[in-house]
Amino acid sequence: MSHMKELTKGIFKENPTFIIMLGMCPTLSVSTQVSNALGMGAAVIFVLTCSNIFISLLRKAIPDAIRIPSYIVIIASFVTVVEMVMHAYVPAVYEALGVYLPLIVVNCIILGRAEAFAGKNGVIDSALDGIGMGVGFTLSLSFIALIREIIGSGTITLFPMGSFSGTITIPGLSESPVRVMTLAAGALLLMGYLKAFFAWKSAKGGRA
Amino acid sequence: MTRYIKTAVTLFLISAVCTLLCAIVNSATAPVIAANNESDRLTALEAVSSGFNVGEEMEGDGGTVSYVIPLTDDSGVAAGYILGLSANGYGGPMDIIASYAPDGSVLAAKLTTNSESPGIGKKAENDWYMEMFLGLGADKPLPAGKNDLPADQSALISGASITFSGVTSALISGSEYVKSLGGAV
Repeated sequence: MSHMKELTKGIFKENPTFIIMLGMCPTLSVSTQVSNALGMGAAVIFVLTCSNIFISLLRKAIPDAIRIPSYIVIIASFVTVVEMVMHAYVPAVYEALGVYLPLIVVNCIILGRAEAFAGKNGVIDSALDGIGMGVGFTLSLSFIALIREIIGSGTITLFPMGSFSGTITIPGLSESPVRVMTLAAGALLLMGYLKAFFAWKSAKGGRA
Repeated sequence: MTRYIKTAVTLFLISAVCTLLCAIVNSATAPVIAANNESDRLTALEAVSSGFNVGEEMEGDGGTVSYVIPLTDDSGVAAGYILGLSANGYGGPMDIIASYAPDGSVLAAKLTTNSESPGIGKKAENDWYMEMFLGLGADKPLPAGKNDLPADQSALISGASITFSGVTSALISGSEYVKSLGGAV
């Protein structure tokens, strides 16, 4: 498989959220606002890429018996790094992500890619796999958050820049939002529809 | 035996490198985080002081009330107190800064440090959330639970009952503490 395929497979063909169905916990909990989804996505891209590179570099030195503890130590360290950096330089996003930021340590996507890919492949391919899977996760999370926030709150929350307050209000929907979309039930309902759509799309692509 | 030693040394070295990495990043970010926290605290104190003069910080009761700051008007007369309150939410400990009139009624309140769920418990950070407590605690009691709220306010906190219980129980404790001070500064 070429380097380009390693990079792009996580975006659609092996999308971690819609195809492999990994990392559902942060996907459902953090996707209430677009800004939270982008912040979580950036953190996951950083941790996934760095841990994949580190694990790939050490794959021949790590004995099989301590493979998983070593992976967890490496992943937890990069999560701690990203947590400290976000706390210092983007405190608003850090506060918004709350408990889900340290929980990246146990995110199935990260440990899953370490075990299934980085532990068996070279550094370049592992780095590209980390970036691709991270971007795929970020796009899925942001897409879910966009739909949930528009329907559930009638707003799109981004980051404040200059005179832009960071929030776009959707006329009509902001006065009468469908509140269930911001709750867990709405997240599960939307995930079900999106999973069905992607399954239909994949099946259609397979027949063609 | 050699295999076990090699395994232990490998895991130790990986942990040591990871610890070093975290230590380097911590040394760079800790001063920035401390400065941000102090700035947030001062902003929150300013926000809840209701235009009164903020006095010197004193120790609280060692429980829910972590510190007390007296408020005085321009003529030096006691106008109330700012309390640092500790509460428990869905995501763990929460810090609330609230100001009270000497009769125990809430003047203003702000949720600061917390780990509540984004979009759910985090709603308590909004000004409109704390507005439901303003003026309560003296003649009119603070709500002890969700059922004490009017229907429209009850709907607003839907899905975040644990956060609400944490906030309101801390505010009630603060109100009782202020009443126990009897207006002494």
